[in-house]
Order: sequence, then C-alpha cells, then structure tokens
Amino acid sequence: MTGDTILEADRIRVVFGGLTAVDEVSFTLRQGEIVGLIGPNGAGKTTLFNSLVGLQKLTSGQVRLMGQIVSGQRPHRLARLGMTKTFQNAALFPDMTVLENVMTAALLRSDLKQARMKAAQVLERLDLSPIADADVTDLTFPQKALVEMARALATEPKIVLLDEVMAALTPTEMDEVMGVIRSLRSEGLTFLVVEHHMRAIMSLSERLIAINFGRLIVDGAPAEVAAHPTVIEAYLGHGAAGESNHA
Amino acid sequence: MRNLLTPGRIAIVLFFVVAALLPFFVDARGHLLRVAAMVLLFAAVAQSWNIVGGLANQISLGHAAFFGIGAYTSTLLYLNLGITPWLGMFAGGVLAMVAAALLSLPTFRLKGHYFALATLAFAEVMRVIANSWAGLTGGPVGLTVPFAGSQPWLFAFRSVASYYWIILALLLAICLVFHLMATGAIGYRLRAVRENEQAAEVAGVDTFRVKLIASMVSAGLTAVCGTVFAQFTFFFDPDSIFSLSGISVRMAMIAIIGGLGTLGGPIVGALFLIPLEEYANAQLSSQIAGLSQFVFGVILVAAILIQPRGLMAFWPKRNATSTTQPSGDKE
Amino acid sequence: MIQALIDGILLGGVYGVIATGLSLVFGVLGVVNFAQAEFLMLGMYVAWFAWHYFGLDPLLGSVLSFVIVFGLGYVVQRTLISQVLKAPPSAQVFLTVGLMMAIENGALMLFGSDFRSVNVPYQMAGFRVMGLFVSAPYFYAFIAAVVLSILLWLFLERTWTGRAIRAVAQDAMAATLNGVDTNRTYGIAFGLGVALTAFGGAVILPYITVSPTVGQQFVVLMFTVVVLGGLGSVTGALVGGVVVGIVQSVSALFFPIQLQNFFLFIIFIAVLALRPQGLIKGA
Repeated sequence: MTGDTILEADRIRVVFGGLTAVDEVSFTLRQGEIVGLIGPNGAGKTTLFNSLVGLQKLTSGQVRLMGQIVSGQRPHRLARLGMTKTFQNAALFPDMTVLENVMTAALLRSDLKQARMKAAQVLERLDLSPIADADVTDLTFPQKALVEMARALATEPKIVLLDEVMAALTPTEMDEVMGVIRSLRSEGLTFLVVEHHMRAIMSLSERLIAINFGRLIVDGAPAEVAAHPTVIEAYLGHGAAGESNHA
Repeated sequence: MRNLLTPGRIAIVLFFVVAALLPFFVDARGHLLRVAAMVLLFAAVAQSWNIVGGLANQISLGHAAFFGIGAYTSTLLYLNLGITPWLGMFAGGVLAMVAAALLSLPTFRLKGHYFALATLAFAEVMRVIANSWAGLTGGPVGLTVPFAGSQPWLFAFRSVASYYWIILALLLAICLVFHLMATGAIGYRLRAVRENEQAAEVAGVDTFRVKLIASMVSAGLTAVCGTVFAQFTFFFDPDSIFSLSGISVRMAMIAIIGGLGTLGGPIVGALFLIPLEEYANAQLSSQIAGLSQFVFGVILVAAILIQPRGLMAFWPKRNATSTTQPSGDKE
Repeated sequence: MIQALIDGILLGGVYGVIATGLSLVFGVLGVVNFAQAEFLMLGMYVAWFAWHYFGLDPLLGSVLSFVIVFGLGYVVQRTLISQVLKAPPSAQVFLTVGLMMAIENGALMLFGSDFRSVNVPYQMAGFRVMGLFVSAPYFYAFIAAVVLSILLWLFLERTWTGRAIRAVAQDAMAATLNGVDTNRTYGIAFGLGVALTAFGGAVILPYITVSPTVGQQFVVLMFTVVVLGGLGSVTGALVGGVVVGIVQSVSALFFPIQLQNFFLFIIFIAVLALRPQGLIKGA
C-alpha cells in the first residue's frame, strides 16, 4: 500500500545551547505508510516533529517533502505543501468554537463559505458534529485532541504528524480513531504517529522508528523494533509507565 | 442571516442615525458640535487602532506616528504644491502604510511589551525629526492650515456641521472596514494568530502576512484621520501631533476602555472619555495644568484594575457561534 | 575625542544604574514598566527638596531618594502592579502607562512646571588628568553609581532576600516551594528597581535640571540601554549604559543635539531587528 516517497528526514540535527536534542536522525516515509515514532519522554520526539514542520530551526540537515527541500521554510508554507502536525497538549484557539477552529485551518484552501462546509464535513468524519458549536474551553481533553486532529485534517494534508492524539481515550474511542486513521490512509494520507500506548501504536503502525537521546536507535517492523535490546533498555523502568495512562 | 438584528447592531445603527441628525438640533456655531465632532474623530482614530490592537492584538503605543504622517503629508503637499487635502489624504495614507510595512519587519517577532516599546520609539523618532527638520516641517513652531473661506474642493468649510458630517462618514467607513476584517476570512486568521501563533502557522495561516495587512490598514486609516484632524483644527505642531500621551495613548485608551477588539468599543470609549476631558478642561485645567491628564491616568489605571476587558464586557456576552458578527472581547 | 569618551563613560555609568532598575523590574516581575522614568523624576525632586530645605548635597540626598522611592514603589507594586501580573500584556502595558501619566501630571500639579536646579560648590569644578578635563559632578555621580552597583551585586549575591529575588526571577513556582513569599519579593524587587532609577536621577541633579517632564528625556535612553544589555540582565544594563553614554557623547561631537536621540533610536531599532535574543516570542 505504499507509494512514492513523501517525507525524507536527512541527517537532522537540532542543537540548543549545549544540548543536542536531535542528533543526525534520518528516515523516509512513503505515501500511505503509517509509521510510529517511539521513545521515552525527553527522547526528542516533539523537537523532531517541530523541526519537520518548520517550527524549529535545524542546526543542520534537510527535510524534503515530496522531493522538495522544505527545511527552513515557515510552517504555513509546509501546510500548503501538505504537511501539518498536531500539538501534544491540543493547542486549540481558546476563544473560538470547535467549528471555527477547524474552519480557520480550512481557510488555507477555500474561501469562507466553503471553509465552513469543509470544516463541518471533517467534524462529521470524526464524529464531532454534536460539539461543533461548543466553546473549546468546555471540552474534555480527549475531545480537544480530536478537534486538534480535525483541524489538521482540514488543511487537506498529504502527511500528518500526530502527537499523542490518543492519550486519555477509552479503548473504544481509541479503536474509533485508529479506524479513522486507517481509512484516511486508504485514501492516500500518510501518518507519522507518536503515541505512548504501546498496544495502539503496535497495531496501527506498519513500521516503527525508535529514538532516544535524540538519536535513531532502530527503524523497522514493529515486532523487530520491540524486541531490540536498546529499545527495551530505554524503556526499562519507563516500560510500566509507558503502557499505562499518559493523560 | 437571522442574527442581523442583534442588540449590539441595533445600538450601533441607532448611534449613527442619531449622530447624523445631531447638527439639526444643536447650534452649528456652538461648542457642543465641535466637541461632538472631536468625539467622532477620536472614535475613528481609536477604531483604526483597534484593527491592530484589538483584532491582531499588537499593542502599539506609537500610532501617533501615522497620525502625524497623515497631517504633515497633506498639509505640506497643500502648502508647497497646492494639492488639495482630499488627495493629500491618500498620499498620507500610502506613506503611513509604507512606514508600517517597514516597521513590521524588525518588530513582528517581538513579544507584546517590546513591540509596544518599539512602536513608542518610532513615534518619538518622528517627533524628533519633525522638530529638528525645520526646513521641511516648519520645526517646533508647527504648521497652520490656511483658511480662505468656504472651499469644499480644498477641504475647507465655513460651518462646523460640514466637518462634523465628513468626520461621521469617516467613522462609518472605518467601522465598516473593521467589521469586514473582523468577520471575514482575515478575521479568523487574525484571531488564530492572536490566540496561538504557532498553531495558526501549522494550520496554514501566514501569520506574518496577516499581521502586516492589519498593520498597514490600521496605519493608513490613522493617517487619513490625521489629515482630517489637521483640516478641522487648522494648526498642529510636532509635540502635539506625535504626542505619546495626547495621541497614542489616548486612542489606545479609548479603544481599550470601550472594549478592545469590539466594533462598538471605540465609539463607547470616545463617548465616555472625550466629553469627560472637555469637562475637566473647562472646569479645572485653566487653573491647574496637568489635571485632565492626571485624571486620565487615574481613570486608565482604575479601568484596567476594575475590568481589563473594557466597558463593553458589561454587555451581554455575544453568541459565540454566530459568524456574522464582530469578534467579541479577546483577552 | 578622548574627552568625549571619558564623558561618555562617566555619564554612561549613571545611565547604567538608572536602567538597571528597569531591567530588574522586568527580570523579576516580567512587566515592562513604562512609568519607570517618572520614578526618576520623583527621585530628583526628593533630592532637590532635601537640598533646598536642608542643604543636603544631592549625593547624600540620593540615599534619601532611594529610601523614599523604594517605599513608594513597594506600595505601588503591592496595590496596583500585583493585580495585573497574570493579566494579558495589554493590561500591564496600560496600567503602567496610566501610572506614568498620573505621576507625571500629579507632579505637574504639585510642583508646577518650573525648572529647578541645585547649586553645589563643585558644580563647575573638575580635575585635569593628563590634559583632559574630568567634570566633578560627572565624576562624583559616576562614583556613586559604581558604589551602588557594587552594593546591589552584594545584595543579590549574598543576602537571602537578594537570592530570593533571583530565584523568583528564574522560576516563581519553584521559589514558592522553597519557602519564598513571592508577593513580598515582587514588592521588594519593584521597590528596589524604581529606587535604583530614583537614585540615579538624584545624583545627576548637579548637572540636570528637574521638572515634571524630565522623565521623558530618559525614557527612550533607559529602554535603549536595557534592550542593548538584554532585558532582565543587570550587568547587561550597566554595560549597555556605558555604551549608550559613549555613543551619546561621541555623536554630540558631530551632530546637533536633537539628533543625538535619533541615533539612540536607530541603535534601539537595530538591536531589536538584529539581535533580539530574549525579545522574540517564545524564546
């Protein structure tokens, strides 16, 4: 189910002050893949995401989206080219309703009227229509995460970086969201997913990338990665915490 | 469009109707009409500021720079080249827009306080230049707008009422611009930028461009108000027209006290503050210099302490789901 | 030219102390105090009255200014500033702007708009050092500034309160967990900040005349110094002060007086544009 290369991370390095947050990470994503990104807290996952979408400047290395070099460009340009991300703590616009939040993203490719319609469609798809007119400040955390995802989808992306969308979801909700991700994938979307729920990420991803201390440890099939000694060691002590609730 | 007749809207329409009729009920040569005209003019200026201070949440303490650019451009074009202020107005507006664009480049990445600081510094530069470049601007002595009787094509009228209606039309136009910006696509984008700039970027909003547009529109409109001010008051000098407390802070204060980011805010703020100032001036200022400004300072502090969201917050909270109305308080 | 450099350094030292107050307020409370220059003015008036009624030399009067303005600042912070510490930036900006207007015009009402100056024996005096003229008032003010800076450093490094202030500046939450009364600390920091500026104003009384609007001349200067040195950095403010002092002096050799301020603005904007570390959103 995989096609052309969508995203290439080429020896990405991000150094702040004395800290190397991301250290020569390289990987490739093909169209239609769902790839999981795992690693303990502080491993550099969010920084890596930020460097991919343009929120974080690269110290060195390149990011290529469908062959085009995009490193150094501002996030809105990347969104236009088809890459967006969700934020770990659901960075929604607090004084807007759910619909308005999603509309704002839809404005990237439509005028106001169409944006409203498209936003409603996206909400429908994620079963969020009932709360379309709610103030986002009134939402529960899982709801916010889903609205966040809806907003990402409203930019009509080719690839979405999901940052812990499923934290604090019930198993049923998780299955639903995974179903949506899979169906979107069959429509051609690509996903890079960070998730602490091991079960979820193992079942969802066809490939796993494990990082720790900013460095790539292993990149391969889920079973292989999970059995990798360095990966196990990284999670030792974090293992139990990693499996349980990460709200 | 069932939401067309919200109480807020009705109030605003009513306001314009009453305002338009005012000159018929009041002595056209009297002081009251002049004060009313000033109220409208400052409401207009505050509304221009509101575009960048309210919609984009960029607190500018230097809008006097654009106000002064407008006044000086039109007046100098008239004095030196005989160009009518009706055209000079646009020249001033364009110049202000260019200035705003140039200023945006280094300042947009700055946090709120530093942005305010940078804009304040800019207005100060303008003031200093106007004071020292006497060859161009007439220096500290200021400029007088000549009046040779009624010459409508030169923006000169005999009756205060004429100026009053022009100012009212200006206010209406600026309010319309504000409304269109607030409720249009750019309104959503500005709100997004205001509330979470990073998330806005990732969602595809070109944050820089959106802020730049707001900044330029605001600057241009402020400059136009400056021209009208010059024509109406016939005299201005660098220290008064580029004044921090007299112009920059005043227009911001009006917008804030009335309700930052709301359509009616600047109008309410002006209706409250300008007559108050007039009253204080009339009663007390001749004896005690600085009293009115002191009172202003105290009012500002008190207003912030009592209700950081402004007087408009006392109105019933607007229905957040309607997208055809101006953005509510956004702080 | 060297003369200008000397003058610049002497003046700059005082600018540094004046600006340090502003930097401190920002570093600890996170508030850009637009009213800071008004406290400078108040400090000058306190010292002037001390001189006028008691014959106290401004260099000593400056201590009085420091103490009185400290008290005033503490009260202002506890009653007014504290209310907006968690409010949006616009509220903070306008609170301090309103304060600025109230204080400046309050002074105008109380003291009238006349310019007042002091008359001290050493006003016109100076020393000849290697063929250069070192103005006495400049020199004494500079020494006073240096002494105060050292005291400040000792305070921040060695005393519990000083360290509490630095702790709160870094991480208020952590400081609370360590037993620091943040409200009181904010009050002290603010009081200290405005007192420093007031002191700076008082020591320059021999060569600057005071009026209610004297603060205005220093507003942009103060902010330029702080921006140069980095908002929140005390040493930065001192260094920045000297740099500004030098620029001002040297530019006076070539340009008319109004344009000196213009150059400060250019520096100010240039710094903001080119080296905005600590000033960029999210940084």
